[in-house]
Amino acid sequence: MTPFEVKDCALLVRMSGLSPATNLRELRERFAACSWSVLFHHYCETTLRTTYDNLDYRNDFAVWAKLYLGDRVLAERLGILDPYSFQSLKELRAATLEVIDQRLSESAMVPWARHGDEFFFMEATTVVFDAGIRITQPSLLGAFIREMTNGSVYYHFLEARRRLPIGMDDFTAWLLKDEEANQPYIRALASVDFYFRSLPDLRRELARVLTEAEAAK
Amino acid sequence: MSAPLSAYEGIVGSAVIRQLRQLGEKLAGTRIVHVNSTREGGGVAEILEWMTPLMGELGLQASWEVIHGTPPFFEITKSIHNALQGHPVSISVKNWKLYEDVNARNFERLGPMLEEADVVFIHDPQPAHLLSLCGRRKGKWIWRAHIDISRPYRPVWKMVRPMVEAFDASIFSMAEFAQTLPHPQFLVPPSIDPLSEKNRALETPEIEAVRAEFGLDPSRPLLVQISRFDRFKDPVGVIEAYHLVRKVAPVQLVLAGGGATDDPEGKAVLADVMEAAAGDPDIHVLLLPPDSHRTVNALQRLADIIIQKSTREGFGLTVTEGMWKGKPVIGGDVGGIRLQVVNHHTGFLVNTPEGAAHRIRYLLHHRERIEAMGMEARESVREHFLLTRHLREYLALMLVIARGGQVRFLEV
Repeated sequence: MTPFEVKDCALLVRMSGLSPATNLRELRERFAACSWSVLFHHYCETTLRTTYDNLDYRNDFAVWAKLYLGDRVLAERLGILDPYSFQSLKELRAATLEVIDQRLSESAMVPWARHGDEFFFMEATTVVFDAGIRITQPSLLGAFIREMTNGSVYYHFLEARRRLPIGMDDFTAWLLKDEEANQPYIRALASVDFYFRSLPDLRRELARVLTEAEAAK
Repeated sequence: MSAPLSAYEGIVGSAVIRQLRQLGEKLAGTRIVHVNSTREGGGVAEILEWMTPLMGELGLQASWEVIHGTPPFFEITKSIHNALQGHPVSISVKNWKLYEDVNARNFERLGPMLEEADVVFIHDPQPAHLLSLCGRRKGKWIWRAHIDISRPYRPVWKMVRPMVEAFDASIFSMAEFAQTLPHPQFLVPPSIDPLSEKNRALETPEIEAVRAEFGLDPSRPLLVQISRFDRFKDPVGVIEAYHLVRKVAPVQLVLAGGGATDDPEGKAVLADVMEAAAGDPDIHVLLLPPDSHRTVNALQRLADIIIQKSTREGFGLTVTEGMWKGKPVIGGDVGGIRLQVVNHHTGFLVNTPEGAAHRIRYLLHHRERIEAMGMEARESVREHFLLTRHLREYLALMLVIARGGQVRFLEV
């Protein structure tokens, strides 16, 4: 097998240029028109961003609905949307709009946020670079992952799902080059329910399941 | 003098240091100039003190220049600073001219270096006029706003805005602090240096000496708020919360901050605090000299709970410092405190003295939560608010500015 080239990445967040939303209707309007990078940031890049990592919900829309609109029903419905389960960001956008529209139709009043609690639309650039590490043996993958940065875990296990082959992490794509021999590792990686984990937690879990798979071989 | 990068390896791990070195390699030789208005004192100088040498260690040619000004100049820039944060301060035409003249005199000295630099970081409004003087610049100029300019006093903002708009990009600490500008506005929260005097580990005897110096009882819980005596830090509200708790638990309170001799409003707040604290030997109001970093460090380590009950706040680095000492923080639900304090995880956000008292009592009744939340707070700082993350984002920013513009994905 060719060695696995470990990459790393750093996230640089910026304002998107969209006006902040002060109520649910404005959120809907801006969300419907925002760029894919804004959508991707608020759904997927939250794990890598500088913020506390263990909130109730993984996406910013659900967090805002709960904390600043005070709408727990909406927060729960938005919070369960797993962006990695959608084939495309277009589908994710449609599903999100459906949830918001349903809530708007149920509500007698449009929920508002206080001044200062607006939803700020952001986007980010992911700067990717070679970490200078090569993994030559699948049996060593768990040990290497244990020592990886959050950036590497994010890039190879989460961000990878938006690259070809769509929906697959880089580790699995590498292991599939010798699918028969690497089945225990491939199954181990597939067993991880990753979306609700913080990156340090995900790193530990990936290392754990791979180490167990290695021990069971 | 800041520590070398390798000194942080034991705190953040070798992978994080290696990551910085990999990013630094991509920028080797890049000429960086930071410009601010003071070499010592204040958060900006503290950041540049470590950032400049660490950038140098990573292979960049980084330098830090300070503009020279007269006392009237700094009075004007203080007014600009306050106005950008929303205070209605008028600045005369004559004073704007003085502001520009002082910048022009500094440009005579700094011009050649600024013209040759690949990236120039201008920190806050004091040196912002330098850009308009640098007609032959080769590099990118970035305005770093360390303050909240979301609701500026409009007449002053009308004067500052054209200066700022001419930059290639700006950096704010939080989205809530930014203004709409016609260039990329990056978001880079500040950070603390875990090896600074204010944050480094202290030996037990030194901590105990501070306890003894201020007559703190080791057998009773201690609440500590570190901040200047400013109405927005609500020290009187903290005393109210203390009184509510004191009815049922034998707590002690330390309110520690710098002296207020040259600040009339600070004096008035301090007088209110002294009045509210009068006669209670368990309220310790400490006026500390500006260089009392180790004392502050020890007080935070002695605390059972850190309080930062602000009603308005910038980023709130005293919160970060308290969390780094492994303490839960009860903080006002404002500004950057929200980014750091998460209910039931790293502390509690509160809006009133009653709310603060309630959360203090909750923690005193659940002592095991103090320790668990404190540990979670410390790990959160390790992950997000140490200088290594701050440095990484500056390096990423320079790569984005130089190579990528506003793309979503940049492979370097």
